[in-house]
Amino acid sequence: MLVIRRRAGEAILIAGGIEIEVLETTSGRVKLGIRAPREIAVLRKEVQMTGLQNLTAARHLPAELLDGALVKLGRKFPSNPGNTR
Amino acid sequence: MPRTETKYFGVIDFDAGSAIEFPAGLPGFDTRRHFLALEDVARSPVIFLQSLDEPQLCFLLLPVLAIDPSYRLHVSPDDLLVLELDPARQPEIGADVMCMAIVAIAGEGHPTANLLAPLVVNPATGRAVQAIRDDGAYGCRHPLMTETRETPCS
Repeated sequence: MLVIRRRAGEAILIAGGIEIEVLETTSGRVKLGIRAPREIAVLRKEVQMTGLQNLTAARHLPAELLDGALVKLGRKFPSNPGNTR
Repeated sequence: MPRTETKYFGVIDFDAGSAIEFPAGLPGFDTRRHFLALEDVARSPVIFLQSLDEPQLCFLLLPVLAIDPSYRLHVSPDDLLVLELDPARQPEIGADVMCMAIVAIAGEGHPTANLLAPLVVNPATGRAVQAIRDDGAYGCRHPLMTETRETPCS
């Protein structure tokens, strides 16, 4: 991994017209400004990870596997009143 | 009364007012915005989040407090606005919102829950959001079996 130290107000350039500027640093947080062509997707990594987890959650559970899966869950979660609407 | 096909429960009638709307969709399913939260007493506390747009799409959820009784919400102001709640105040689970985690079971693997991005529902309006945390306090593959270790998300 390329490591570059930057201060607030400084930027880095990535080929293809992408610019990432450090706007502000506070305790434990960095505020970034990103300029990129419209066709370049910019995404927080957690959003991508959650999308992949959602796809796994939806895909890998055909109906016939459900009860086996629930048995696994039941070992840890004995029945108790649900709190959904 | 509207009627829908479901993945696990055949064709069911439902109360239109009980539908849940994710105005922004769910990551990976951006166009799936309308769901029903179904419960099956024999499988409590599992909640089935059935898509009204795609019958074969149904997520298994668990209340986050069933997974971790000390779970603390951290919802961004933007997500609170989607929920039509005060963006300046964290809602309370049970009082203001319901909060569930999506369970994933990959193949023969152990079930995990996404505590990084819980589903938060405002029961007063039926609006919901998958509230992705930005504080790194919880993982997206929280093991539901104590004997397993959490694997990195990426």
